[in-house]
Amino acid sequence: MFRKKSLSELIEGLRKNENIINWHEIEPQEAKTREMPEKVDKRISAALQKRGINELYSHQYTAFQTLQQGENIVAVTPTASGKTLCYNLPVLQSIAENDANRALYIFPTKALAQDQKSELNEIIDEMGIDIKSYTYDGDTSPAIRQVVRKAGHIVITNPDMLHSAILPHHTKWVSLFENLKYVVIDELHTYRGVFGSHVANVIRRLKRICKFYGSSPIFICTSATIANPKELAEQLTGNPMRLIDDNGAPRGRKHFVFYNPPIVNKPLNIRKSATVEVNQLAKEFLKNKIQTIVFARSRVRVEIILSHIQELVKDQLGAKSIRGYRGGYLPKQRREIERGLREGEILGVVSTNALELGVDIGQLQVCVMTGYPGSVASTWQQAGRAGRRHGEALILMVASSTPIDQYIVQNPEYFFERSPESARINPENLIILVDHLKCAAYELPFKENEEFGPLDVKEIMEYLVEERILHHNGETFYWANQSFPAGNISLRSASQENVVIIDQSETANVKIIGEMDRFSAMTLLHDEAIYLHEGVQYQVEKLDWDHKKAYVREVDVEYYTDANLAVQLKVLEIDKTISRQNTSVHYGDVTINILPSIFKKIKLTTFENIGSGPIYLPEEELHTSAAWMELKQSDPTLGEKTLEQLLMGIANVLQHVVPVHVMCDRNDIHVVSQIKANHTGLPTIFLYDHYPGGIGLAEDVYKRFEDVKAAAKNLIEKCRCQDGCPSCIGTEIEGIKAKKRSIELLDQF
Amino acid sequence: MSLKAKLGRLKGHMNLPQEEHPLPVAEQQVIQTEPLEIPFLEKWTENDTHVYKMEDEYCFIREVHYDMDHQHGIYTLHDAKKAVEAWNEVDYSHPLSSKGIQAEEMFFFDTETTGLGGGTGNTIFILGYAFFTDRGVTVRQHILPNPGAEIPLYQSFLEKVNYNTLVTYNGKAFDWPQLKTRHTLIREHVPKLPQYGHFDLYHASRRLWKNDLEKVKLINVEKNILGIERQDDMPGYLAPYIYFDYLERKDPKGLFGIMKHNEIDVLTLITLYTHLSVQLLQKEGSDLSSYEVARWYLGLGEKETAIKAYNKVLEADNAVQRISALHALAFQWKKNREEEKALNAWHKVAEEGILKEQIEACIELAKIYEHSQKNYVKAIQVTQNALSLFPPDQKEKKAAADLKWRLVRLSKKAGHTKE
Repeated sequence: MFRKKSLSELIEGLRKNENIINWHEIEPQEAKTREMPEKVDKRISAALQKRGINELYSHQYTAFQTLQQGENIVAVTPTASGKTLCYNLPVLQSIAENDANRALYIFPTKALAQDQKSELNEIIDEMGIDIKSYTYDGDTSPAIRQVVRKAGHIVITNPDMLHSAILPHHTKWVSLFENLKYVVIDELHTYRGVFGSHVANVIRRLKRICKFYGSSPIFICTSATIANPKELAEQLTGNPMRLIDDNGAPRGRKHFVFYNPPIVNKPLNIRKSATVEVNQLAKEFLKNKIQTIVFARSRVRVEIILSHIQELVKDQLGAKSIRGYRGGYLPKQRREIERGLREGEILGVVSTNALELGVDIGQLQVCVMTGYPGSVASTWQQAGRAGRRHGEALILMVASSTPIDQYIVQNPEYFFERSPESARINPENLIILVDHLKCAAYELPFKENEEFGPLDVKEIMEYLVEERILHHNGETFYWANQSFPAGNISLRSASQENVVIIDQSETANVKIIGEMDRFSAMTLLHDEAIYLHEGVQYQVEKLDWDHKKAYVREVDVEYYTDANLAVQLKVLEIDKTISRQNTSVHYGDVTINILPSIFKKIKLTTFENIGSGPIYLPEEELHTSAAWMELKQSDPTLGEKTLEQLLMGIANVLQHVVPVHVMCDRNDIHVVSQIKANHTGLPTIFLYDHYPGGIGLAEDVYKRFEDVKAAAKNLIEKCRCQDGCPSCIGTEIEGIKAKKRSIELLDQF
Repeated sequence: MSLKAKLGRLKGHMNLPQEEHPLPVAEQQVIQTEPLEIPFLEKWTENDTHVYKMEDEYCFIREVHYDMDHQHGIYTLHDAKKAVEAWNEVDYSHPLSSKGIQAEEMFFFDTETTGLGGGTGNTIFILGYAFFTDRGVTVRQHILPNPGAEIPLYQSFLEKVNYNTLVTYNGKAFDWPQLKTRHTLIREHVPKLPQYGHFDLYHASRRLWKNDLEKVKLINVEKNILGIERQDDMPGYLAPYIYFDYLERKDPKGLFGIMKHNEIDVLTLITLYTHLSVQLLQKEGSDLSSYEVARWYLGLGEKETAIKAYNKVLEADNAVQRISALHALAFQWKKNREEEKALNAWHKVAEEGILKEQIEACIELAKIYEHSQKNYVKAIQVTQNALSLFPPDQKEKKAAADLKWRLVRLSKKAGHTKE
C-alpha cells in the first residue's frame, strides 16, 4: 500500500539525487520583538491581543515610531513578516486619535485590495471604534461610491482607479483630500518600468491635489527585497524616505536547492527539459499531499505543466486539487483558487509570476521554479511562497538550458551573495510625462511656475497649447479640450485595448473566457494559434484585430504554437558615443517596425517542430531609445556568414544577461543583431526599450556597458559546452571556433 | 535632440485628439489685452450683454425679456404661470408639485460646457436661466470670457440667483454636480452654494414618453411633444468647438449662436414644466401619456389619483392602453375584494392584452380560481393557457417552472375533490 511520506523524508531522499548541484540552507531565525508603544490606543492594543499580538516585531516598532515623528518610510519585508501592521497600526492610531483623519491605501491590483479590506475590517471590528474602510475600484457599486467618498476613513484602491476615477473627480472627494494623513503604497517593488513611471506621475498629481485642499500626507511604502527601495520610494513619491529593514519576524528552516537536469546529448550539451523534470518532481510532493506551488515563466508554460501534472496525479488526486493561476483568468476564478489554497482544498498550483505578489494564499511547504525567474528579487519573492514561521520548507529551482539559468546554477555564489537588482523607473519619459501633464491640467489649472518633477515643464505646456489641448491665459494653463484625458491613458502598457477571448465551442453558449494585452495577443492569439486556458487547449479560429476579439474553439491536439516576429530597425538620432579603434557603442533614438511573420507548431512531448504557417497582422511601429554596438572594422578572414552567426550568438547572450543587470522583464528590452545595419551598413547589435519613447533601460545598458560586457564574456567562458550550446551563444556550428571568436569580438568593444 | 523635436516625433503616441475641427480655423489673431480692455466689446453690447466687473476680472451677463403672452410651443407664458398655480388646487402630492411655490421663486436652469461627462476639467462657460418677473419672463446668462474668469462668473451668478426651486433637464445628474465641481475649485473666493429644491424634468419625461420617443432628449421632446421648432439652431454638440474657437480668436460671433441655443433651452424648460403639470394634474382629456401618469401615481402611493387616472384611460381611444389600464385596475379591485370585477377584467386582458399582461392575467385568474373559488378545473385551464403563451426560448425560466409546479399541485387537488 502507498504510504505517505513527510516533507522531511522527501527532503532527505532528495539529498541523494545526483542532479542536485547545490544545497543551501537558510537557518531558522528567532523573533525579535519590542513592547507595544505606550502611545497606542488601548482599544487597538486590546484588539491586537485578541489576535495573539502582544508585542511588535522590531521592524513594526521602528515603523510606528518613525512615523510618529512625521517621517515618510519604506519598509522592506519578506513574505509573511507581518508587514501590514507596519501601516495598519499607525493609520488606525491616527483615526482613533482624530475621527476626521483619512488614509489612502494603494495596491497594485484589485485582488490585493480586496484581501487587505477583509483583514483590516476584522481588526476594526474587534477594536470597537467606528472606522469605515472601503475598497474603491471598478467593482464598487454606484450606490456605495457616494458613501466611500464622503465617509470612508480608509479608502483602498489601485493606481489605475486613482488615475482615472478619483483624481479627475477630486471635487467629489473633498473630505478625503482635506484630511489625508497617510498614503500607503504596498508592493512598492512592482512599480518599476513603464508601470512605475506612470505611477510616479499619478503620485505627483495626487500630491498636487492634496496641496490644493491643504493636506500634506505622509507616505508609508512597503517593498519586497530590491537593491534600491529607498531610491525607488523617493523617486516614486518625490519625498525623502527613511528605510526600515530590521526584520524581526521569525522563520523556519529553508532548503534552497538547485537542480540541473541531466545531459541527454553530450556533444551539443543539451539537457533534459526543465518542464519534464518539474512535472516529475512536483508529482512526488503532490502524491504525498504536500502543498506545492510551481512557478513557470510564461502563460503557455503554465498551461503545459498544469495539464501534465493533472494527468500524472489524476488517479491519486482529483483534477480540481491542482490548479493554474495567471493573468488572463477572470477575477472570480482567481479568488476561488486563492481561497482554495488558503483553506487547503487546493493542493497544488502552477502559476506565472502573478503569484509573486502578496496575494494571500497562505504559506505553502514547497516551491518549485521552472527555470530562473529572471531576477534575484523575483527569485526571492517566489521562494518566499514556501516557508512557514515554524517547520521546514523546500525551494527547488530547476534550471533550463538557457545561458542565464546555467550560469546561475553553476555559480551559486553569484545568486546567494549578490544583492538583488535595482528597480528603475523613468517618470520623465516624454510620452508618459505629457500624458500626466494633460491629466494634471484637467484636474486643476496649471500655473506657469508650478513644478511637476525635476524637468522644466513649461515648454511642454506651451506645446500642448499649440496642439489646442490647453489654453494659456495670464500666468496659467487651462484645460481647453472636450476630451477626458485619463480615459485614453493606460498605466499598464503601451497599448490601450485588450483583446477579449471568446469561446465559441458551444454555439448555444458562447462565452468570454479571458483577455490579453495587444502585444501578447500578436504572438499568442493569431489565427490558428493554440491557446491554453486552465489546461484546456483552444484553437484560435479568428483574431478580429479591428475589434480586438479572438474567437476560439476547444480542440485536442498534440502540439502548441510559437510565433516569430520580424523586426526592422532605423536609427533616427545618435545622442552619445563611445569610440574605440575598431568599434563604437552608441546611444540614441530609433524606430522599430514589428511584424509577426510565421508561427511554428511544436510537438508537446518531444518539442520538435512539426509545421508552420503565416500570421497576417498589421505592422506595429515603435519609436524608442536604443543602445547599439557596431563593428567598424572586422577581421576580413572571418567571412560574412560566420560573422553573422557570431553576432547572433552574442545577441543571444546579451538578451539573457541584460535583463538581469537592469532589472526588467525579458520583454521590456529586446536585442537584435544585423550584419548590415540600415544606417551604416556595418555589423551591429541593437538593444532597445520595448516601449514608446523608452523607459531608460537602453540608457542604463549604455552607462553600464562595461558590466554588461563582462557578464556576457563570463557567461560564454564558464559554459561547459565545447563550442557553443543553447545555454550560451546558441547551437554549435562546426569549425568556426565560435566561443573563442565571440570573446575576441566582445573584447574589441 | 531638442524637446520640441522629440515631442513632434512622438506625437503619434501622445493620445492627442485627431485634427477634426468642424470649423475652419482662421488665421490666429494676436490680440494684446490690457486689463479690462475687452476685445469686441461693441459686438457684445449689441447683443443684450453687459460687462460684470470684479477688481481686474470680468464676465458677461446677457439679459433678454419676454412678455407674458409670448408663445413658446403649445403654451404661452400665461399658461405656464397658471399651471404652476394649479398645483395649489389639488390635495395629493407629487415630486413635481409646485404647491406652495410661486412661479417667481423658480428658476429654469441650463448650462453649456466645454466637454462631455462629469470630470473636474469640464468647464461651464454659460450659466443660463429663465425666471418670472412681474412683467413676464427674463432669460439671464452669465458667460465666461476666458477660463481664468470663473470667480466673477460664479460671484455674479450667486449674487443674482435668489430663488428657491431649480428646474432642469437632467440637472441632477449633470448640470448641478458640474456646477458644484467648478464651484469647489474656487470656493474660497466666492459665496457658498445655496440649497435649492430641484425639479429634474428629464426623469418625468422619460417616464411619460420613453415608449414614444427614440431617445428622450430635450430636442426630441420639444419637437414631438411640445410643438417647438427651432430655426437656425446651433446644435449643442458644437458648443465646445465654438467656445474654443472663441477663446483663440476672441470674436464672440459664433458664441452668440450658443447663447441663443441656451436661451431656447431654458424657455423650453418652462413649456415642458407646464405640459408635465397639465398631464399630471389631468387637466385636459387624457392623451397617450395618461396611462403612465396613472402608473406613476400608483407608484407614489397616491392610489385615489391613480385610480381616477386609470379610469380616464378606460374611456380613451387607445385600445392597448385601455387594456393596460384595465389590467392595473384589476389588481386594485382584487385588493378591494371586488372579485367578480377583477375576474371579468382579467378574462378580457387574457384575451386582448400584450403577451406579458396575458400571462400575468392568466396567473391571477388561476390564483382566484384555485384559492378563492376552489374551481380547480378552471384553474388548470387558465394555467395551461399561461404556459402555452410562453415563447419557446423562455420555457425554462422560473416563471414557467412555477406554473408547471402550480399545474402539478392543481391536478392533485382536482384529483382529491373527485375522490
